[in-house]
Amino acid sequence: MIALHNIQFYYPKSKIVLDNISLQFAPGNIYGLFGKNGEGKSTLIKIMTGLLFPKAGDYQAFGNTISRQNIACLQDIFVVPEEFELPALKISVYEHITSAFYPNFSKDEFYSLIKEFNLSPHQKISTLSFGQKKKVLIAFGIATNTRLLLMDEPTNALDIPSKSQFRKIMASVVDQGKCIVISTHQVRDLHSLINHVVILDHSHVTFDQPLSKVSENLWFGKPSHAKPESIIYSESGFAGKAVLMRQGKNETEVDLELLFNAVLDQPQRVNYAIKTNYDQPQV
Amino acid sequence: MLRDLVILKGTITTSLCVASGLFFISFLLRLRGDHELSQVDFASVFGKFYIILGILFTFSIFKEAHNQKTNHLYFSLPVSSYERITSAWLSTVPVFTVVLTIIAAIIGQFAILIASMFSETTFHLVSIFSEEYWGAVTFYTIVQPIFLYGALRFTKNRIGKTLLLVLLFSFGLMIYNFMFYGILNYSYDVFSGEELAYEAFDLASKDFSGIGQFVFIGIVTPLMLAAAYFKLVEKEV
Repeated sequence: MIALHNIQFYYPKSKIVLDNISLQFAPGNIYGLFGKNGEGKSTLIKIMTGLLFPKAGDYQAFGNTISRQNIACLQDIFVVPEEFELPALKISVYEHITSAFYPNFSKDEFYSLIKEFNLSPHQKISTLSFGQKKKVLIAFGIATNTRLLLMDEPTNALDIPSKSQFRKIMASVVDQGKCIVISTHQVRDLHSLINHVVILDHSHVTFDQPLSKVSENLWFGKPSHAKPESIIYSESGFAGKAVLMRQGKNETEVDLELLFNAVLDQPQRVNYAIKTNYDQPQV
Repeated sequence: MLRDLVILKGTITTSLCVASGLFFISFLLRLRGDHELSQVDFASVFGKFYIILGILFTFSIFKEAHNQKTNHLYFSLPVSSYERITSAWLSTVPVFTVVLTIIAAIIGQFAILIASMFSETTFHLVSIFSEEYWGAVTFYTIVQPIFLYGALRFTKNRIGKTLLLVLLFSFGLMIYNFMFYGILNYSYDVFSGEELAYEAFDLASKDFSGIGQFVFIGIVTPLMLAAAYFKLVEKEV
């Protein structure tokens, strides 16, 4: 279990980025951490990795306060940053010198993922494109078998086939002991992958719900005969999709992009609809 | 340490190749006069490149920590700050000293061989360990932690800023010594003539008493290593 209590953070001479953030991340889940640009997603990821120190509040991972001095704790956390550079070494050499730091690292898993990403262990990292380097790091992160895997905008720089390959791989690696947190502003990329949504807006957690609860209480689609009061959020234009209180209607697939827009536009109404269980069927 | 050295493999190889070339030319120049590469000759050539290369190597060892694209992965590695500092110090002081000494000795021997083939130089074995050699090693071991701290403390123009800091510190120490000299010897009328005042400046800038040496070796060196450690502990990305 990873728990953040009243985390507050601001950069020097800057406005507050995270204000009283309290979140819990449980193993066996893939969390989607969403928010507009500059809403503190990357900052939160950095705090969870011990790369930034919160100004207030505390953060515990697996019962220990996270600190760069707590090696046992760091052995259970791996981060795939948004922007990074890997050393100009062969993939196999990089694996050899870095894997030693992670006691649960699986070489077989790493090389099988490298193969799946159409890469070769003998390729020199400096000759790879940024997207390919990201694949190397994603493969490495998965193979570390850390209990907490954090990914900041992992699908940036991946081409369309690689994005679906990424979703497939991520879905296959999650197990009961692993917690994966993926931060992105490209909500569509995580479609059918995540099972819990966290949305940051205006330095606060605006939304923090499992997808099962969302689909249980909200309805997504093009309403034909909906009561105006049941419409929480609607998008004008040709598509004309809307988020409605489900109220006994058939369960729909959660439209993450629509949910994200609805939360940013009507946070109170969305949260109220989620918390209120409407058992009565629609008349 | 292995990780650091493997990552810096390219930089280290290039630097050692350049150093080897410079060693070779310098040793040949030294052999030109008396056709012998004495202990003093070896230490004189070695000392110059040893300290300059050592400082450059010290600044390259924390390159990852300052680069926005590499520092996330560097600091998220499960390695304690104590281990990082120890590894950096081991790489840049003992390992570096041993490796560079071996290279200098091989190049020196090679230079003697070449010189013996084309000049009146008789073949002889290179002599490494002299008082001057140990002096250079001791000096480097004492001042290196200052540069290790500078390598962590400053993010831009690290070498220049650290050198400026060292210069300011040395100047401050000189003024401090000079003031003490003046205060303690005021009754001897030290400032009455230009010659005595000049002597005071001279002494203040070069005299290293036993206490002064203790302050540097016993206090400044561990203090700078501790400062580098705490800087690493509090460093964020």
